[in-house]
Amino acid sequence: MSTRNFLLLGAALLSLATLPVARAQVAPPPPPSITNLTLIGSQRGLRWTPFPAAQSFKVFSTTDLGLPFTEDANGAVSGYSWTGTNSSSARFFRLDTTPLDSNALVTATVLNRLAYGPTPALLDRFKTNAIALYIAEQLAPETVPETVPNQHTNIAFFESRFAAPTTAIPLSATTGPGSAQVSDLRAWFKLRAVGADRQLLEVLLQFLDNHFVTQHTKTMDYFQFAYGDFTLRNRIATELEYRELTRWRTALLNPAGTFKDLLTISCESPAMIVYLDTVSSRGDGGRTPNENFSREIMELFSMGVDNGYDQTDITDMSHAWAGWTVEMFPTSEVFNPLATKTTTLLSPTGGGNYTNLVGSWAFCYRTGYHGASRSIFTNKFVPARFGPPWTTRTYANAAPGSYQLTFPARTGTNAIQDGYDIIAQLADLPFTQEFMSVKLCRLFVHEDFAHGYDFTAPQLTPEADLVRQCMLAWETNSPRGQVRKVLEVIFKSDLFRSHTAAFAKVKTPLEYTVSALRALRVSTNGTGLHGSWSADTDGTALATPLQRMGGMVLFDRAEPDGYPESGAGWISAGTLAERARWTQSLLIASGQTGHNGSQSGTGNDAGNSVTSPVRLLFARLPLLADQQNAAKVADVFLGLLFPGEGAANLNLYRTAAINFLNTSDDGLSASLFSALTPSATAANAYDTRVRGMVAMLMTMQRFQEQ
Amino acid sequence: MPYINTLTRRDFIQRSLLGGAGLGLAALANVPPFAARALAEGSIGLNGKKLLFVFLRGGNDGLGSLVPVQDSAYSSAIRTSTLIAKDGATDYSATPGTADFPTSPGATATFNYPNAIRLGNGYAALHPSLKFLAPVYNAGDLALIHRVGYPKQSRSHFDSQIYWENGQPLNSVSKEGILYRTVIESGLASTAPLTAVSIQSALPVLLRGSGAALTNLTDPLRYDLLGVPNSAATGDVKATNALLNAQSTPFPDKKSRAFLSLQYDGLLKTLSIFSSINFTETGNTYVDNVNTDGGSTPYYLFPTSQAKNGGYAANGNSTAKYVVDQSSGTTSFFAGLKAAALILNHTDALITGTEMGGFDTHDNQGGATGQHANLQQRIGWTLYGLRKYFQIYGKNGSAPAAGAKCSWNDVVVVLFTEFGRTTIENTSRGTDHAEAGVMFLAGGGVKGVGKSGRVTGVVGCHPGGTGAHPSDTNAPWISGPANQAGGVDGSLFGISDRYLKRSVDYRSVLGRVIRDHLGATQNQLTRIIPGYANEAQEHLLTGGTVTTPIESSGVNTPLIGEPDILV
Repeated sequence: MSTRNFLLLGAALLSLATLPVARAQVAPPPPPSITNLTLIGSQRGLRWTPFPAAQSFKVFSTTDLGLPFTEDANGAVSGYSWTGTNSSSARFFRLDTTPLDSNALVTATVLNRLAYGPTPALLDRFKTNAIALYIAEQLAPETVPETVPNQHTNIAFFESRFAAPTTAIPLSATTGPGSAQVSDLRAWFKLRAVGADRQLLEVLLQFLDNHFVTQHTKTMDYFQFAYGDFTLRNRIATELEYRELTRWRTALLNPAGTFKDLLTISCESPAMIVYLDTVSSRGDGGRTPNENFSREIMELFSMGVDNGYDQTDITDMSHAWAGWTVEMFPTSEVFNPLATKTTTLLSPTGGGNYTNLVGSWAFCYRTGYHGASRSIFTNKFVPARFGPPWTTRTYANAAPGSYQLTFPARTGTNAIQDGYDIIAQLADLPFTQEFMSVKLCRLFVHEDFAHGYDFTAPQLTPEADLVRQCMLAWETNSPRGQVRKVLEVIFKSDLFRSHTAAFAKVKTPLEYTVSALRALRVSTNGTGLHGSWSADTDGTALATPLQRMGGMVLFDRAEPDGYPESGAGWISAGTLAERARWTQSLLIASGQTGHNGSQSGTGNDAGNSVTSPVRLLFARLPLLADQQNAAKVADVFLGLLFPGEGAANLNLYRTAAINFLNTSDDGLSASLFSALTPSATAANAYDTRVRGMVAMLMTMQRFQEQ
Repeated sequence: MPYINTLTRRDFIQRSLLGGAGLGLAALANVPPFAARALAEGSIGLNGKKLLFVFLRGGNDGLGSLVPVQDSAYSSAIRTSTLIAKDGATDYSATPGTADFPTSPGATATFNYPNAIRLGNGYAALHPSLKFLAPVYNAGDLALIHRVGYPKQSRSHFDSQIYWENGQPLNSVSKEGILYRTVIESGLASTAPLTAVSIQSALPVLLRGSGAALTNLTDPLRYDLLGVPNSAATGDVKATNALLNAQSTPFPDKKSRAFLSLQYDGLLKTLSIFSSINFTETGNTYVDNVNTDGGSTPYYLFPTSQAKNGGYAANGNSTAKYVVDQSSGTTSFFAGLKAAALILNHTDALITGTEMGGFDTHDNQGGATGQHANLQQRIGWTLYGLRKYFQIYGKNGSAPAAGAKCSWNDVVVVLFTEFGRTTIENTSRGTDHAEAGVMFLAGGGVKGVGKSGRVTGVVGCHPGGTGAHPSDTNAPWISGPANQAGGVDGSLFGISDRYLKRSVDYRSVLGRVIRDHLGATQNQLTRIIPGYANEAQEHLLTGGTVTTPIESSGVNTPLIGEPDILV
């Protein structure tokens, strides 16, 4: 652990430290500077600027620069200031800052970004192991045993209700395969987020579902033409969302899985075909096809807005997608878009209406809706800003540097290939490489990445440089566009590991709620089984809180840009109030006022999401004396909730926590924590006191960050 | 809940001060840049004038709201299922000035009239679902502005929404809102606990900026913290105080940290203010002062539930008597709108607003009925209901609420959308993203028909002549050919054969409201809307022909400048 020294000499500031020269582009944080030296009566005061992840601050002084500095024992550090007693002679002061060790900082970043936040067990594991091990495991999820199905019985229950894509939706079933509704899917997805060992896989699935956004409600509305029954439509629309997820999961478990695989799955998804209106688009007979999908596939799913295409390309491309619709096929033909409508009847006498057909809704290519595809990106060349190899290589069937896509004359069912040519072309373009790299960097590093960099500039910013490195990984591996190769570049980058990235992001409502549960979650008997967890949810209970924290309804985003990745998209006074309320409710013991129902507004905040911080505490502080020591209790939770932050910076949170523990419920009178008898029973004074303190820490600003 | 007014503006401002003494002045760049000089000019926030906005997200089909019925090209040739048909018994070329109000007495359904409603300027008409705009229009309190857009119009929802919100067309990088800058210019952002409030899922770009935390409420009823243990008398106070005390802890700078700190400050400052307003459903007792549909019971102004939706409960639970469509989206929108109105009337907030979604009607848009028609019902009742709310329950109203601070003359309500939709219907019986659209402005201070010499409340949808207001005439509507084929011309085909071309810049409308209603000086307005600094090329103030480089090469667009729409 290195020590950095900073010195104040009179009014001049001198840094004795030689800061490590990391990769040139990533600037280290500026050292703390002493900003204020006061002399009031016999009090001598120093103040300095904060330093990220400072573990300790120490003040040294000397009366003569020819003499060594010694630690000044006449004062004490509080926050970013030091107050001491005036000694008779004038003194020179020096501030020594000890930063947190770099493994602890990177561990926090990794667990916040590759996972839905740290758990106590993961923090324990990476106190002694290098976090690189976790990155390697998470990049190869097929090698990680998954225990999440054992953690809550609801997971098996929900999974029994999902239908494999090749299973027909039984129109009458209310239990078993095909009976899942979207609320089941949401709860299952969140349970996996909370408990999965393959955390990065879950994070990426959420990213993909949000990137290739579809809307459950719109699918349901679409199927009104065939089914009057609301629940039946809900089940069909849910199965289509589940099918996307399943296919993306399979693609991500393939070590060489590419972006093209992921994009293909989205384009073939009936949920997408309905969502962006391709389902009703026709280009035959001189008709004007619907532009919606053409616009959004370029703007939002691949190239990025105004990045290499214009309105002409949107209009031209819309002709290729005309004919991409949905139909109910025999279940064995669910992945054959050229199949014909199922003829299997549910009831032999029931007629041929959809309500009496057995099969699966699937992507169906209708030749009759297709006119003639037009060339796209006509006479367009890769801009010079990308530089080689992108500006000089060939794309599809055009001359080097041009990315014009010309379709051979195709008729009948052959014209389905036009769409697949577009998918291959989009997945290969530097615009897409850039935009997707930017989106992944925003997900994993920080928000301030944008497309449009001049990659040929002599001096790239760290952000532009990282995007370029991602693009090179995309470009130079075979096959191109391997997801893991790009992610590996990000996770190994200096920027990802720097203070610039650490805690630079704000949690989304999903990340906030799931990370809150994970932070307090241990299996108290070590079995990892249902019921043993110190923090748990049934999954369903997270739906309403997410809705309240800014309308985050999974699988039902109305706008095709997906839910925001930026903090500003989620944070305002109103949503912070919802986050604080939910957290406070979560920490109130089940059955106590405020856990279900509360003093104002509609209640049921946390519901079947429950915590017992004292059970967690007992597992980490087995000695009675420690359990009654307010400072030790505070330190346990500070360590679990704010890993990656140095003790010196948490000093004031620590003081607030200890004060809280030593204050009675009226918020005014003193009540010694050491006098309370440790107990994990609801409504017990000790239990309540600890719950209140943890709620306070978790409603602090810093717990919003990741 | 204690009133919280002791919190220091923390983090970066505090740090800037810490760094004072010549050491860290660079950090002062983060201090709200206009704070000092704004106090010296203008009267924003001091003149009692307020603004209520509703963003119609998704791109409202302006041609289906303010219908150019007298353009012969507006026909079933280009619009099959989305056409708003004329009524054969009505002479739409007549210019009585005022709008028709199709009444549906007795048992007749509220929205039984299926045809375009004549507006009286000889050319334009309203969608039948906008019928409740007629009383507002005829009182001269409504301006309907057609063909509103901006240069090099983006047909992307997200870019175009950002441009409308940040006031800077084609700058998608700036996430600083036009109304945020208005608040900053008021000089109140750093002193008043409440200046602008949105009621929706998240703080919109309109109100976003790095120098002040404006407030968004997701659900006003739940704007209160719990305590652990939970008790209004004790634990609540302890939890809140603990949060408050610890919140002033400074931490090193991070990318999102200053923003988060501002929002925490905003939360703690506004908790007590909102707890004094009754946002509950049972508190929604605001009703009209006249009866509708020939009934004997006045309708509720904010249809926040089925029972309060027009004449439903008053007419024997007749679903035909809804004033808006019955859906959870509608009731929650009106709950948000009610909160926006209550906050304007009961606090010192200058600006409140909310949003309405669902306008992206690519598919099955509908005509006189259907999804677009349902949205028009909401627009119509929004403006009708707000006018009555402030006229009855506002300051100087006929039955003012206790402590009412805002009259109908004090408020301008503005409804806008990111773009209009294609003039030609697509094969999904819907319309796609296009260019110019329609803005709605209402308020006692709005200059509509009959006020100060205006002969019509319509701007930008007239062929000139007797139905038009003189200052609007340099950009008349040009009728297209009846049976269009290749090489079509006319306003409906202004760009690429199916995009309406703009004749009014949205910045001219918002600019006029911010200056002449809210009280900005022209200097302030130039800082709020930077385009005003380039009158020679942008022509936002007095109009003119916009050419390159503001427009694409070869494109010339005559604009009418600021429309004459305020008294």
